[in-house]
Amino acid sequence: MNLAAVDWVFLIWYFILSIGIGLYYSGKAGKSISEYFVSGRSLPWWLLGTSMVATTFSSDTPLAVTGIVIKDGISGNWFWWTFLFGGSLTVFFFAHLWRRAAVLTEVEFIDIRYSGRSAKFLRGFKALYLGIPASCITFGWVTLAMVKIIQTVFKTSGLEALGICILITIFYTTLSGLWGVVATDMLLFAIAMLGSIILSVVSVEKVGGIKAFLAAIQAISRQTGKDYLSVFPSFGQALPLAFFVALFVQWWAVYYPGAEPGGGGWVAQRMLAARNPKHAVSGTLWFNIAHYVIRPWPWILTALCAMIVFPELLGSDAASLEGAYPRMLGILPKGILGLMIASLFAAYMSTIESVLNLAGSYLLNDFYKPFINKNGSEKHYVLTGRLLVVLVAILGTGFSFILGSVRMGWALIMELSGGIGLVLLLRWYWWRINAWSEISALTASGLMAIYLKIAPGSFLVIGLSKIFKSLGFKVDPWAVNIILIVGFTTIVWIVVTLLTPPDSQAKLLSFYKKVKPGGFWGPVSAIHGRSYRLKIQPFLGWVFGVLVILFFLLGIGKVIFLRWGEGLLYLAGGTISAVILSKIINNVEWEVQ
Amino acid sequence: MPKTKKEYLPMALGFWGIGIPLLASVFLFCRTPAQKIAVFLASLAFFLIGTLIYRAKQ
Repeated sequence: MNLAAVDWVFLIWYFILSIGIGLYYSGKAGKSISEYFVSGRSLPWWLLGTSMVATTFSSDTPLAVTGIVIKDGISGNWFWWTFLFGGSLTVFFFAHLWRRAAVLTEVEFIDIRYSGRSAKFLRGFKALYLGIPASCITFGWVTLAMVKIIQTVFKTSGLEALGICILITIFYTTLSGLWGVVATDMLLFAIAMLGSIILSVVSVEKVGGIKAFLAAIQAISRQTGKDYLSVFPSFGQALPLAFFVALFVQWWAVYYPGAEPGGGGWVAQRMLAARNPKHAVSGTLWFNIAHYVIRPWPWILTALCAMIVFPELLGSDAASLEGAYPRMLGILPKGILGLMIASLFAAYMSTIESVLNLAGSYLLNDFYKPFINKNGSEKHYVLTGRLLVVLVAILGTGFSFILGSVRMGWALIMELSGGIGLVLLLRWYWWRINAWSEISALTASGLMAIYLKIAPGSFLVIGLSKIFKSLGFKVDPWAVNIILIVGFTTIVWIVVTLLTPPDSQAKLLSFYKKVKPGGFWGPVSAIHGRSYRLKIQPFLGWVFGVLVILFFLLGIGKVIFLRWGEGLLYLAGGTISAVILSKIINNVEWEVQ
Repeated sequence: MPKTKKEYLPMALGFWGIGIPLLASVFLFCRTPAQKIAVFLASLAFFLIGTLIYRAKQ
C-alpha cells in the first residue's frame, strides 16, 4: 500500500493538531495533582463522556469486531453488547456516588470506605497491580494491534512511524495531564469515527452498493448455513451457554476495562473529574450511547464487505479474520487513505494517553504519596506523576516487544479478576462489606482461575459441563469457567465478610455522610440520624437507558439494511424511551438524593 | 476549568482544522457521488461540532 504525498500531508497535519491541543493545556496541568489527574473536577458531560468512548475505541477494536462478524455474523457482537446492562447500571446507581466520593482515583476509594491495615494493604496492592502489570498489558496489547495495522499499511518501514507516534503521545500526555487527554480525545474520537464511516461507505460502494451487498451476504449465508445478517443468535436445538453467561452473568461479575461493574479505571477517573454529580451521570450515559450505538455499524459493514472482497477469509484462523480490516484500507482512494490512517493513529493514541495518565495517578496518589512521601509539595507530586507516566510508557513499550500473545495475558488477567464484580457493586450499598471482602474476592477469583488453567479437565469442569448438557445447553469451556469462578468467589467473600469485623464506626459514618448512598446502611444511618433511601428513579433510568441503547442500536442496523418499517419502529421506540429517560434524569436530585 | 471561551478554542480549532481539508478532499480526491456526499457531510459535521464546542457553556 503506497501513500501519496497528499496522504503524508494529512498525516503530518493531524499530528500537528494533536500535539498543539495537548500542549495548550500543559500550563493548567502543572498547577496541582487535582488538575493533572482529574482536570480540577470541572469537566462538562459531553467532554468526559466523549473521552470515555475515545479511550475504549482503540486501534484493536475494529479488528476484533471484524473477526467476530466474519466468524459468527452480526449476532456474535452480543458477547460485548451485553455489557450495556452493566453500563446503564453504572450510569444510574454509581456515577453520582463516584462524584460525591470526590476521591482522586478509583483506588483511593478504598481509603474513604474501609479502615485498618487491611485497607492500607488493599490500596497499595491495587495501586501497583493496576498501575504496572494491568496498564502495561493494555499498553502492549493495543500497541501490538497497531503494529499489525502499520505492517499491513507501510510494510516493514512503518514501525518507525509507530515509534514516533508513541513518543508524541508520551510527550503531550506527560505535559498536559487529563485536560490534554480529554481535549485531544474529542478530536481523536471524531477522526477515528470519520475514518471508520468513510471506509464503510467506500467498502459498500466497492461491492456494488447496498442492494448488491445484501444479495452477496445472503448468498454467503445460504452457502455456509449461517445467517450473517441476523442481529439475534439462532439457538437451534441446543441453547448456547456462552450467550446466557454473557447475558446474565458477565456484565456484573467480570472486571473488563471500560465496562467495570459499578465503574472503574478511566471511566471512574472521568466521573470523578465531572463538574458535578449530574454531569457525571449525563456524561456516562453519553459514553454508553456512543459506545454501543454510534461505533459498531461502520465496522460491521466493513467486516461484511471484507467477506465479499476476500472470500478466502471464510474458514480462516482468528488472526487472518482480524487482519481483514487493515486489508480493506487498500480500496481507499489517495487523499482519503491518509485520513483513514490518521483515524487509526487517533484510535490508538486516545487509548494509550488515557492508560498512561491513569497508571500515573494510581502509582502517585495511591502508592508514592501514602507510602513513600506523604509531605511533598504539589509541584513535587506533579513532577513525580509526570516521571511515573514516562516510566509506565517505557515498561509498556517493553511489554509489547516481549509478549508474544498479549491476548492470552489479557484473558488471564480478566479471568483472575473474573468474580469480583459483585463486591465492587455492593461496597457502595451494603455497610457490612469490608477490605477483607475485596481481598478474599480477589484471592479466590485468582486462585480458581489459576486452578482452571492448570486443570482444565478437572472434576468441577466435567461435572458442571455434564449438568448443563443434560439441561439442553451447548457447553462452552469459557462459560463453564466463568460460572465456576463467580460461584466460588461469591461464596468465599460472603463467608469472609461475615467472619471478619465490620469497618470502624467513624469510617463508615464519614463515608455515609459524604457519599449518601441508599441501600443497606441501617446501623450507620441510625447513628447518623438520617437515612438516604434508594428511590424508584434509578431503577427506571436503568431500564430506559438499556431500552434507548437497544432500540437505537437495532434501529440503525435495520435502516442500513433497508428494512425501513422495522427500523423506523425501533427508532420511534428509542425516541420515546429517550424522552422518558431525560425526564427521569431531570427529576432526580443527583446532588443529595 | 476554562473561564473563557478562549479555553475551548484549541478544541474548536482542531475540528475546523480537520473540516477544511475534508472539504477540499470532496473536490480534489473523491471519485464517486457516494464518496463526495459522505466526505462533504463529514466536513460539515466537523465544522458544526467545532462551532458547538466554541459556543459551549463554560
